[in-house]
Amino acid sequence: MDGKEKKAWRETPSLVKKVEVLRKETVAQPGNIEAVVEGLLYIVGEDGARVEQIAMAIDKSLEDTNIILENIQRKYASELYGIELVGYGSVYKFVTKKDIYPYAQILFGEAKTSTLSQAALETLAIIAYKQPITRVEIEELRGVSADIMLRKLQARNLIREAGRSNAPGRPILYEVTEEFMDSFKLYTLNELPDLPEYSKDEESDNLFE
Amino acid sequence: MGFEVETLKFEGPLDLMLHLIHEQQLDIFDLDMEVLTDQYINYLHSMEELHLEIESEYLVELATLIEYKSKKLLPKKEDELEDDYEDPKDRLVRRLLEYQKYKEVSKTLYDSYLERQDQLSKPLSVDEIAKHRNDLEAQKLEGDPYDLLKAMNKVLRRLQLTRPLDIKFTQKELSPEDRILQIKARLKDLPETFSFDTLIEDCESLHEYVITFIAILDMAKDHYLAFTIDDNENIWFSRGSNHD
Repeated sequence: MDGKEKKAWRETPSLVKKVEVLRKETVAQPGNIEAVVEGLLYIVGEDGARVEQIAMAIDKSLEDTNIILENIQRKYASELYGIELVGYGSVYKFVTKKDIYPYAQILFGEAKTSTLSQAALETLAIIAYKQPITRVEIEELRGVSADIMLRKLQARNLIREAGRSNAPGRPILYEVTEEFMDSFKLYTLNELPDLPEYSKDEESDNLFE
Repeated sequence: MGFEVETLKFEGPLDLMLHLIHEQQLDIFDLDMEVLTDQYINYLHSMEELHLEIESEYLVELATLIEYKSKKLLPKKEDELEDDYEDPKDRLVRRLLEYQKYKEVSKTLYDSYLERQDQLSKPLSVDEIAKHRNDLEAQKLEGDPYDLLKAMNKVLRRLQLTRPLDIKFTQKELSPEDRILQIKARLKDLPETFSFDTLIEDCESLHEYVITFIAILDMAKDHYLAFTIDDNENIWFSRGSNHD
């Protein structure tokens, strides 16, 4: 769902015409537009689609598209359905509900294996809360070298470079990606859990639960 | 004579210090630097005795601790202390607390990470390969090994999803060298540019995918093949400069 595709659509007059006709029909029947979006979301699968992309395809405003997405989300939240619509990192996609997973395990006879090391998690947490952030700042916080870890996380597409800092040497800044948001079930970074606060007044046991 | 092996793994010097503070039941807001330093040194010694390599990061923090200790021994003049001067102890405590926060929150994040993996989705329903074939010739061939790795992950994930019920117990032994010969033999029938998916059409197991991947890494190194990765993380190949 990138620029090339948009262009291809525009350049095919008969297709555009056909879509225009279809759009008029769907405008006449507001209930249908939800079905269209649902169908699109089914097609895009795990790659998902952004609100802007859907809005462009159905020729609606972002506000309207958001309402449509919310409606679909509400519909699938019902226990009648085994899939749900999620918008992690503002990318919407259908996923199976977590209650389905045990059955899938029986069906496939295999357990999931994707894990993250404690070091990777801590590095990701620091970047997510403090982004954009330089390697040196991460190292100062964790007390260990972050070079290799940053490369690994970049290879897994969980973080990316975000320009350069104005500090001496113009070091590279890092930030988390949509893939990170997706992997940690976050719609926006505002949803990150609050960092724990430690103060003198509290019982010190609190620190090491 | 028996021996004890402590299999504690620390994420770094700060993690180790937090562990020691906890173990010695020290108050982090009124940190007894002497006890902490002694314990820290003890731990490094025990690591040495086990012939474990001590990473340099631990030594950097050790130097900080010892510097603090030595400064305490020297008489100090009050007027030397300036307002904006941060006491090394305060700085350490601040860093420990800050680190502890992220260590703590990373547990919560990991729960979400695991939960997310219970939610599965299906791959894109459009044949992207056909769609992008025409655009390819104009593209410059480039990409670093990490891009290749990313693209490979995507290929594997997709294959897993497309053939989830294909369970086999046989294992064909295939070496990367053999695979290179196989690929070279197939090259003459392949178009100018072709995708990784084309290359692994004849593969039946994960083992063979991996061997194929190693084989093409080797061939790319020898400039026999050149590769590029498009926006959708598909791997594309063409003949390299060393192709005969």
